[in-house]
Amino acid sequence: MIHNPFSKTFLFLISLFAATETFAQNPAPALPQSRPVVITGATIHVGNGQVIQNGVIAFDKGLITYLGAAGSNPATANAEMIDAKGKHIFPGIISLNTTVGLQEVASVRATLDFNEVGEINPHVRALVAYNTDSEVIPTLRGNGILVSQAVPQGGVISGSSSVFYSDGWNWEDAVLKKDDGIWLSWPPFLASTFNYEDFSVSVKRNEKRQETIDLIKSTFSEAKGYMEVAEPATVNLRLAAMKPLFAGTANLYIRADYAKDIIEAVKTAREAGIKRVVIVGGDESFKVAAFLKENQVPVVLNPTHRLPGRVDENVYLPYELPGMLHKAGVKVAITYADEWWRTRNLAFMAGTSSGFSDVSPEDALQFVTKNAAEIIGAEREIGTLEKGKHASLIVSQGDILDMRGNSVEMVFVKGGKVNLDDKQKRLYEKYKTKYGK
Amino acid sequence: MFKQLSTLFSGLVISICCQAQQTFPQNGAYDERPGRYAFTNANIVVDPKTTIENGTLLIENGLISQVGKQVKLPAGTVVVDLKGKYIYPSLIDLDSDYGMPEAKRDRPAGGRQTPQLESNKKGAFGWNQAIQAENDASLIFTPDAKKAADLRKIGFGTVLVHSHDGIVRGNGALVTLTDEAANKALLNRKASAHFSFSKGTSSQTYPSSTMGVVALLRQNYYDAEWYARTPKAKEANLSLDAFNQIKTLPSFFETGDKYSVLRADKVGDEFGIQYIIKGGGDEYQRINEIKATKATLILPLQFPEAYDVADPWDADVISMAQLKHWELAPGNASQVAKAQIPFAFTSAGMKNKADFWKSIKTAVEYGLPKEKALEALTTLPASLIKAESQIGSLKPGLLANFIITSGDLFGKDNIIYENWIQGKKFILAPINAPDIRGTYSLSINNQPGGKLEITGSPEKPEYKVIVQDSVKITPKAILSNELLTLGYQADKKLPGMTRLTGWLTGTTLSGEGILPTGAAVPWNATLTQKFQQTAAADTNTIIPKETGPILYPFVGFGNEQLPKPETVLIKNATVWTNEQEGILQNADVIVQNGKITKVGKSLAGPSGAKTIDGTGKHLTSGIIDEHSHIALFTINEGGQTSSAEVRMSDVVNPDDVNIYRQLAGGVTASHLLHGSANSIGGQSAMIKLKWGASQSEMVLPDVKTIKFALGENVKQSNWGDVARVRFPQSRMGVEQVYFDHFLRAKDYAKSWKSFNSTSKKVAANAPRRDIELDALAEILDNQRFITCHSYVQSEINMLMHVADSLKFKINTFTHILEGYKLADGMAKRGIGGSTFADWWAYKMEVKEAIPYNAALMYHQGVTVAINSDDAEMARRLNQEAAKTVEYGGVPEEEAWKMVTLNPAKLLHVDNRMGSIKAGKDADLVLWNAHPLSIYARPEFTMVEGAVYFDRKKDEEKQKTMQQEREKLIQKMLNDKAEGKPTQKPQAAQPKMWHCEDIVGVHTEHEGHR
Repeated sequence: MIHNPFSKTFLFLISLFAATETFAQNPAPALPQSRPVVITGATIHVGNGQVIQNGVIAFDKGLITYLGAAGSNPATANAEMIDAKGKHIFPGIISLNTTVGLQEVASVRATLDFNEVGEINPHVRALVAYNTDSEVIPTLRGNGILVSQAVPQGGVISGSSSVFYSDGWNWEDAVLKKDDGIWLSWPPFLASTFNYEDFSVSVKRNEKRQETIDLIKSTFSEAKGYMEVAEPATVNLRLAAMKPLFAGTANLYIRADYAKDIIEAVKTAREAGIKRVVIVGGDESFKVAAFLKENQVPVVLNPTHRLPGRVDENVYLPYELPGMLHKAGVKVAITYADEWWRTRNLAFMAGTSSGFSDVSPEDALQFVTKNAAEIIGAEREIGTLEKGKHASLIVSQGDILDMRGNSVEMVFVKGGKVNLDDKQKRLYEKYKTKYGK
Repeated sequence: MFKQLSTLFSGLVISICCQAQQTFPQNGAYDERPGRYAFTNANIVVDPKTTIENGTLLIENGLISQVGKQVKLPAGTVVVDLKGKYIYPSLIDLDSDYGMPEAKRDRPAGGRQTPQLESNKKGAFGWNQAIQAENDASLIFTPDAKKAADLRKIGFGTVLVHSHDGIVRGNGALVTLTDEAANKALLNRKASAHFSFSKGTSSQTYPSSTMGVVALLRQNYYDAEWYARTPKAKEANLSLDAFNQIKTLPSFFETGDKYSVLRADKVGDEFGIQYIIKGGGDEYQRINEIKATKATLILPLQFPEAYDVADPWDADVISMAQLKHWELAPGNASQVAKAQIPFAFTSAGMKNKADFWKSIKTAVEYGLPKEKALEALTTLPASLIKAESQIGSLKPGLLANFIITSGDLFGKDNIIYENWIQGKKFILAPINAPDIRGTYSLSINNQPGGKLEITGSPEKPEYKVIVQDSVKITPKAILSNELLTLGYQADKKLPGMTRLTGWLTGTTLSGEGILPTGAAVPWNATLTQKFQQTAAADTNTIIPKETGPILYPFVGFGNEQLPKPETVLIKNATVWTNEQEGILQNADVIVQNGKITKVGKSLAGPSGAKTIDGTGKHLTSGIIDEHSHIALFTINEGGQTSSAEVRMSDVVNPDDVNIYRQLAGGVTASHLLHGSANSIGGQSAMIKLKWGASQSEMVLPDVKTIKFALGENVKQSNWGDVARVRFPQSRMGVEQVYFDHFLRAKDYAKSWKSFNSTSKKVAANAPRRDIELDALAEILDNQRFITCHSYVQSEINMLMHVADSLKFKINTFTHILEGYKLADGMAKRGIGGSTFADWWAYKMEVKEAIPYNAALMYHQGVTVAINSDDAEMARRLNQEAAKTVEYGGVPEEEAWKMVTLNPAKLLHVDNRMGSIKAGKDADLVLWNAHPLSIYARPEFTMVEGAVYFDRKKDEEKQKTMQQEREKLIQKMLNDKAEGKPTQKPQAAQPKMWHCEDIVGVHTEHEGHR
């Protein structure tokens, strides 16, 4: 079976096995890699623009040990050999700014754990609410989403996010990067109100934002002051949680969409002494691309499968946006923002950005791999397929960015082979049985 | 200054010559006067077509008795010499709320509220609170001295008043603006009937949408007709009684925009009523269609103010449509007049009534003939309410309602001196004010005190005190009856006012002044130079205003010229025929007269054909979105469990930019559905995406479909605790809703059938027409097809069984995310499934949704479509279709049919759409790559042979828009620099609809279905 791992029978048996043995539950996470694996014959998309035709990739103890063209010779003693001729290998896709693990069924309040009461909540952590047993997660890794950043929402400072693998026994086991950053919502420059008379939405300058900006500024300066005291007489959880921002060990993610908001937000954060600033949303980031480049601020975009923000905007602007920023020298990642189940389509947004702008598919791939890894500061572990990095990768029938090629046949997380079964596949099999197929 | 004086003066008049009514007792001695006045030597504008120069107008007892060149004056006539002055009929406003009580709402509009299913109006009235036929304006009219004075000041004499509240608003009353008793003011107590699309203060839940309003109004006409002919009707209904009385009166329909004008007219057409329609001032944007209504319009005069666009990023908020409307709105009346559409003006809706003349004069500057303007304020409104024999012109026998002006009514510096109403004088400005204008040398306490400069007009002089040779100070000044008061700060550095009071003697002003020190001193001002009129601009010439083009539709990306069907040969493309031929390589397609005429290889184009090279490209038929909510003003009539009577075709919005956006994604037709707020929704509308065309050109009337819905939305599961009232609240109840409605529809159809089959039909015996049951009867008769919003298998199964037992057909289950569980049952009954490719997890009823759904249904033989229900997803439905290949292995050709041929089949239009075949509509898309690939994008999208989207032209359009935008912004900046009022940038965008959006109320998670 190992020599022909992609036969239909094999896949069918796997699913059948899953259906009978683990019905109504997510399958067990992959066990730690027990012996070296060598995959040969595939087209390897390294993630940094490089493509190796007919390549070889080897990994052991969870780390990539070798990467090269066919005919080269990695140590293969005791290794599991996988022939992936005609297949494509990609680094695992990284999905930032999600509510994966924090949200199960949108309309059921009991399943929602991403929003806390209060305006300034830097101390609340997504880490501990992340539910590895969410039935959504297996459907994501089935499309190659191997890493998700779970992010709190609400208030002015929402809390801190953590980054997780899509496979693990519990949050402690699944977490890749704890408390990687704190999330701030910049008060928007424009406010929209719904008119009940004619059901229109009116958008005009937000007259009430200065108060919030002042609050943000004073919070930052007090947090910095708090940090300078080695042992404060009274512990302030909120201020203490912001320490890593000033130490440069965590990101400040600022949700800002309008051009003016972006500039104001970046300047405010920098003046407060915060080192790592990331703009999230960034609908109008193209207007301030030069500013962002100059200040080396990366952008985590809103879903680009969206309508233009204004009626007169170029109809394709959202599709073109990642490419525009990329060309302008801004580091950019694409996300599904507050979505959860939809993130399984993340690669398709990258594909669309290539189809609708002057960006190659290899560059577009980086919007959901390499750039995302660099933004969260996990570039030493994930984002590209390079020696020494985690062996977290996907084997697909074809181009992962295109529905026509995106068919994930094998997934490894830190070298462990992940069971790709999920609830939806089980239901598929169940009803195929009903119809005698 | 004049205001205060005239108020005082008119107060005096009241006490002297107030005429009592005959039946009224009099406090004090009777004071009856003949009111016999002659106005001589005047230019009398009898009506817009007739002016008597140097004529005489004789009035007596409040009426005009004679007008002409030679009028013999009876003894005892008070003669007023109006040499050089003008007399016009006083103006008429037909859309007034003068003297009407303010309409107050019981509870605030909007937000999530407990439904109020019944009317709050107690008594033997109709069932719906917004139908107020019994509302009689004459009974609630109470004169309002302040408002009357404001209207008189701008020249009005008579107004048609009605209560601006509700859909049917009852009758209007014609009243004059006299300050005397209401008994005198009231000319006609039942002059008109009034309608609108707004339910006003009604707190009743139904109707909650514009199409619901239309349906309610239509049903009301039918009910009234039935009530009138059914003496033994089982109910007494005061609202219907009243409605039958007023429905033959001149009927006024208040709307706010061009499409509402068309919608109102359509309602009128059904009942043989030509409404007089109040528009929103944007008629020029669809002038041909407006003209075709044959309606007379009432036009508003409030033009948009310029936006403050000094900050370029702020200015980005304002849309092209807003910018262009700002530029073109003042020319609206001119365009309407040019199209020979009759219209009257109204001052209603003006922020400031004092701007009335400014607006009228602007309209004239933009090319409105003065004669038309005058007509719109006098004769035309009079004739609309059949009051020509009382008001609107200056003919003997009519009311003595007229105004005296200094010159041409529409001239730049015209002054209205007096407004006479029913023979009573109201002074607005002194008619023979002394001309004190000129330059005076000022002497205070016998010391030179600088210069006093008086300019402006004799009636409204403007003052400047010039000290130290060049410092100009504007003093506070009051002039009345040749007495002048001036106050000013003579020295900027020294605080304190110098106050002068004095009088005119010959050409000298003199009197006493008080200095800041308190010292009383003499002062005088001697005329040194008389005022010289600088050559005034000739007010008769119309300055041509250079304005941008009108776009169809009137928004960004609109067309200056509508695309026309072309003769085209597309050569050497990969052609996805969706027919037996399958996918043809290197094939040609010919398009002529909007149809596909030939499909084959090496075809020769007809003469004049444009050849398009399709090498390396893919040609497909246009995408048809089976489930869409774009291009609609409202989406849900959620006021009742069944709203089968509402029609989405009543609320199609051709201006929605999403039409263009979908074209940019290869969509050529959309099936516009009612929302899913109730078990039986409304009648759907199918449109071709002809960007810029009219509503009627877009809608396909032959597609007769209706939306049904099941599950969480119809039982209001996610609407919070306030929504626990409306039946049904469970899936059990939903079944009974269907049984109940269809059993009633069956009876209804039967009663019509038996009526129609009787040989001697007596109209009085006809059943009551019910437009809700009409729609359901059409379903039973297989004339109207159901698209049912559905999620879980239990309810899907239930509806299939209800349909089986009542013998009607379900055409399509939409969403149908658990269709895979009952695909066999659907296939057996020939029911189609229109679904999402991969949506799930947004609510409980989608927990078991799987992306393999489409494939499983397809493999069971169900006709499957992939739809959007979302303006964004609709523009990449090709990508969504591709997912059915990824999940469950549907063959690519079949996957493509799920967004083209299959929806055409489900909508019963596959005879003309959905595939590339000679004879079918040329709805085509040329893709740059395999259409199921993520990298594919349309090169062009064609509907019936006309190219509505072209990738290259789109890029050009964006550039043109940018230039046009900048031109308009520069124009606005000029306005601001000239000190004209500006408003803060603010965009009004129509809401994007999904099927769960209740009008004004959204489910917990907006954006999810």
